[in-house]
Amino acid sequence: MPPKRKAQAPLDDDGGFDSGAEEALSDQETFDKLRDSFDVKAMSRRLRATHATDPASFLFKKCDQWDAQLKPDHINRPLWVDDAGRIILESFSPIFKDAQDFLINIAEPQSRVSRIHEYSLTAHSLFAAVSIGKSSKEIIDTLERYSKTALSPSVISFIDKSTSSFGKAKIVLKKTLSYIESDDPTILQRLLKDATIAECRADTTDGLIMEAAPRIGVMAIPGTKMAAGANQVAHQVAEAAADPQAPSDMIAALREEDDDDEEVAQVHSFQIKSEERERVVKRCQDIGLPLTEEYDYETDMVNAKLDIDLRPHAQIRYYQEKALGKMFSNSRARSGIIVLPCGAGKTLVGITAACGVKKSTIVLCTSAMSVVQWRAEFLKWSNISSEDIAVFTSESKNRFPRNAGIIISTYTMITSTRNRSYDAEKVMEFIRSREWGLLIADEVHVVPANIFKKVTYSIASHAKLGLTATLLREDDKIEDLNFLIGPKLYEANWQELSEQGHIAKVQCAEVWCQMTPEFYTEWLKPSSVQKRALLSIMNPRKFQACQFLIEYHERRGDKIIVFSDNVYALEKYAKKLSKAYIYGDTPQAERLRILENFQHNDQVNTIFLSKIGDTSLDLPEATCLIQISSHYGSRRQEAQRLGRILRAKRRNDEGFNAFFYSLVSKDTDEMFYSSKRQAFLVDQGYAFKVITRLEGLEKRTDLAFYTTHERRELLMDVLLSKDADAAEEKINGDMFGSKFASTGRKGRKKNGARRTAGTLSELSGGQDMAYIEYNKSRNKELKTKVVKNGFLRKLQRGTANAKKAAKE
Amino acid sequence: MVKATRGTLVKCDASIKAMLLDIDSKHRNDFIIEELDEEHVLVKETKIAELKQRLQSMMKERLKEPESSESES
Repeated sequence: MPPKRKAQAPLDDDGGFDSGAEEALSDQETFDKLRDSFDVKAMSRRLRATHATDPASFLFKKCDQWDAQLKPDHINRPLWVDDAGRIILESFSPIFKDAQDFLINIAEPQSRVSRIHEYSLTAHSLFAAVSIGKSSKEIIDTLERYSKTALSPSVISFIDKSTSSFGKAKIVLKKTLSYIESDDPTILQRLLKDATIAECRADTTDGLIMEAAPRIGVMAIPGTKMAAGANQVAHQVAEAAADPQAPSDMIAALREEDDDDEEVAQVHSFQIKSEERERVVKRCQDIGLPLTEEYDYETDMVNAKLDIDLRPHAQIRYYQEKALGKMFSNSRARSGIIVLPCGAGKTLVGITAACGVKKSTIVLCTSAMSVVQWRAEFLKWSNISSEDIAVFTSESKNRFPRNAGIIISTYTMITSTRNRSYDAEKVMEFIRSREWGLLIADEVHVVPANIFKKVTYSIASHAKLGLTATLLREDDKIEDLNFLIGPKLYEANWQELSEQGHIAKVQCAEVWCQMTPEFYTEWLKPSSVQKRALLSIMNPRKFQACQFLIEYHERRGDKIIVFSDNVYALEKYAKKLSKAYIYGDTPQAERLRILENFQHNDQVNTIFLSKIGDTSLDLPEATCLIQISSHYGSRRQEAQRLGRILRAKRRNDEGFNAFFYSLVSKDTDEMFYSSKRQAFLVDQGYAFKVITRLEGLEKRTDLAFYTTHERRELLMDVLLSKDADAAEEKINGDMFGSKFASTGRKGRKKNGARRTAGTLSELSGGQDMAYIEYNKSRNKELKTKVVKNGFLRKLQRGTANAKKAAKE
Repeated sequence: MVKATRGTLVKCDASIKAMLLDIDSKHRNDFIIEELDEEHVLVKETKIAELKQRLQSMMKERLKEPESSESES
């Protein structure tokens, strides 16, 4: 499927886009400057220099809190805050739920294992807190109340500093004109003193526009009960009061706080020239007053309303509601990123957001395949008519006929700099020329900053919503998304969701496979990295472990996906075990046939997938996953692969567990990478069991590569495969068989003529030799859709005959 | 005439044995008396300390250590 590969190839981690950097990159320094000045760590480092130390201090490095006094009632308080802005929360505390709800708003979750959760205060998380209407006083007071020790002055000053600079001024599009708005006129005055911003100001009056701020109400999210949110708050307070374990004085304090939130606020604003918008945003970031983007979609009369609503059968889960609640509070749409695990309904969140805004929406995804999926989901969950929803990919270039609608496209289509076809150029012009209510960016973590910038320049959208499961990259470009889209609005707790059955429970295991001596001797020899990696992947013991696990799980009735990054290994494994496999070069029709068989045919329980299966492949049947090779230490790949089994259909069966195995060859680099890869999942609360030996594996004599002879042959194969391994197909069993041709390691020469004595009958195969094809590709077998059951075949024949008879 | 050599039985993983053999072959076969099977070798008693040290440095060089998470300067 060429278009898909085209879409994916440039989005790899290695920053393939960087070469095509445009002038947009000049903002890089701005980002760096900002990052430096608002880094809590840098700040605390300066403070730490003067901090008193005791003999054990060096063990704690940045978080030495030895001189912090515990409060007398510290047992009732659930958390610590250290100088570096790290928050450690006890998840067994009776008021854990409240504390968590609060922390998720103001800090970024770092690690959420079963008993202790770790969060960290960052400039961006505080930015996000302010943007949902929390004041710095409120944040500090609540933290102080929950904390076991008194907050250190450095943390307080950090919170103050961040909240006072971030999110105080907002950039708002009202009637398609851009305004800068703030509660505090002095901030606006400060902005206007800056020469660049003053230049970009559109209205000529000296004063500021003043109006009453919209009341902070709970906006009803489609698909939920109107008052659900309001009820919830009341309910929570009641619940907390009913809880006998919670200290009563704290509850009282909580209530007091809740009461004085309600104040009538005034907002001040001034208008800026719309075309200078980017400049103003950039400048404000530079002077340490970044602007928040909000969209007042209800009063927007200029852009046509889109008739879209959720169908009644669409059920919004509570965490989706929470996430959307953050996006839509204050009855405005706020730009930001929502992080949900794979299979937890990201698409539905996107669709619901579109239904909330009810304006033209553009959706960007990573591949043409997911474009099709998004369109289908839109039609499934909302009442939009199918002609209002257009697709812009290399195959189809549609527009919607009326003046509001939805376009779904890929990042590559929008940002392509090559010459477009006439049709594509016209659609692009159409996209550029209009104003969009909402931009939904799917899998937003894969998009490098400069590409996304290009997107935001060419699409004028009021609000942007980023969706992802794994907001991490191995490079540190993820930070830049904070400025380009917005802060992280919500991140779901994986363990909580799996407890509640929204995603499957997964048992993770790392299986250590011994290297066989022959393989390890080869591995020790200096050779290319690829070859060594290949040796550790093709380790016969690993192969046996894989075969063993497949057989074990097939007997249990699991559907198994085996992942291998290396195509050479993929093919070898799949052919030897006679399973179907899919990799980049597999034709589209064959792929679909294999996937269909995997889903519905109970004869096909295992498929082998290469990298192409990592993301956006929806296989709810799969319940077991085996990983035999992977992309170095990529945490994202590990998490995305795990995502393939999180949506298991059977997840709500009693005691159901999905299984995730990672096969690792012992004493090789794989061990090192494996521990790195797991970091993200461990932080999400997954525990990896280490299996050093599989019970009963040694006793089996029927596994592949049981004899030393077979192993040596395999080793030979691996060694002979050149670094360009995967590409070349090896011809097995040429005329004289490998036994004769390769007496020594260098014995096998592929080129040049060779003379041997022999009879003619031998050459023609007349010496009663029989050939059987080993290592057949299972793919071919699946090609012919033949009914194998005798009864069904008879039935079929009967109907065919009847039809024939009817015709005559 | 029968010649006796004092030896130490070394039991190790197959992969470590491969390393031992590698060291042995690079140093004029000075260490190992006999390879017994996949997990056992007989090593000259006098050379044990040196072999241990060589193995250590080889492992350090060839295998990447999982780094600790708190690697702050």
